Amino acid sequence: MSRRTLVSEEDESTSIDLAPMIDCVFILLIFFIVTTVFVEEPGVEIDKPDATVDAQLEKNSIIIAVTADNKVIYGGKELGVAGVGARVRQLLSKDDLPVIIQADAKAEHGVFSAVWSEVKNSGAKKISVSTRND
Amino acid sequence: MARRSILERDEETKIDLAPMIDCVFILLIFFIVTTVFVEEQGLQVSKPDAAAASPEEKNNVAIDINAAGKILYQGKEIALADVTNVVKANLDDPETPVVIRASEKSSHGTFIGVWDAAKRGGAQALSFSTVN
Repeated sequence: MSRRTLVSEEDESTSIDLAPMIDCVFILLIFFIVTTVFVEEPGVEIDKPDATVDAQLEKNSIIIAVTADNKVIYGGKELGVAGVGARVRQLLSKDDLPVIIQADAKAEHGVFSAVWSEVKNSGAKKISVSTRND
Repeated sequence: MARRSILERDEETKIDLAPMIDCVFILLIFFIVTTVFVEEQGLQVSKPDAAAASPEEKNNVAIDINAAGKILYQGKEIALADVTNVVKANLDDPETPVVIRASEKSSHGTFIGVWDAAKRGGAQALSFSTVN
């Protein structure tokens, strides 16, 4: 009994030192702020073609998807080949970003080529094709 | 002097950090949830520059992909595995243009396969054109 009263009474006046925890939380916060990029992902399943000579692409880019049934998609919405140019031009006017075309291995080459031309004509400086490497 | 004594009393008080920690945690959770680590790998492809195009250079290497997805070099069918060797054998120097002429109806996968193989064969001036 004597022990109990001694410990609990003493503890009431002490408080936890929060400073180290705040340090950690701030470091985490800064890490996440710095690494976050807001990329509009197409949100469709794409079976990317294989390649061995590929390189790492930039994280912050405009991603346009071409699905296996030849639909052209940006940011979860279907654009159609004709809509790509206007959309990319509008996005590039805000920020000069590289463009990545994510085309499915089963997509028609003609559709990919048309999308590529549209993107090129809208003034994109760097156009890449997304591939898989395993 | 009266003021001084107030200061001395202040030394006892502490800033209440709790509201700030709440805010920081909310920010932290927001950024953790929204962070996506986009790992994109890919190739840079190009079409021949229309302005700089020279009329069909004699020494360039042209590889065709027909509508059925077959790979042809000088009219003869070759396997995807042979593309690297064909390019390597026909390349006078790395700057020799290599053109992949793919049919509109061929698949994107075949095209990227050929592009990749040609690149491995040492082609630096690689471009594609689409035929129908």
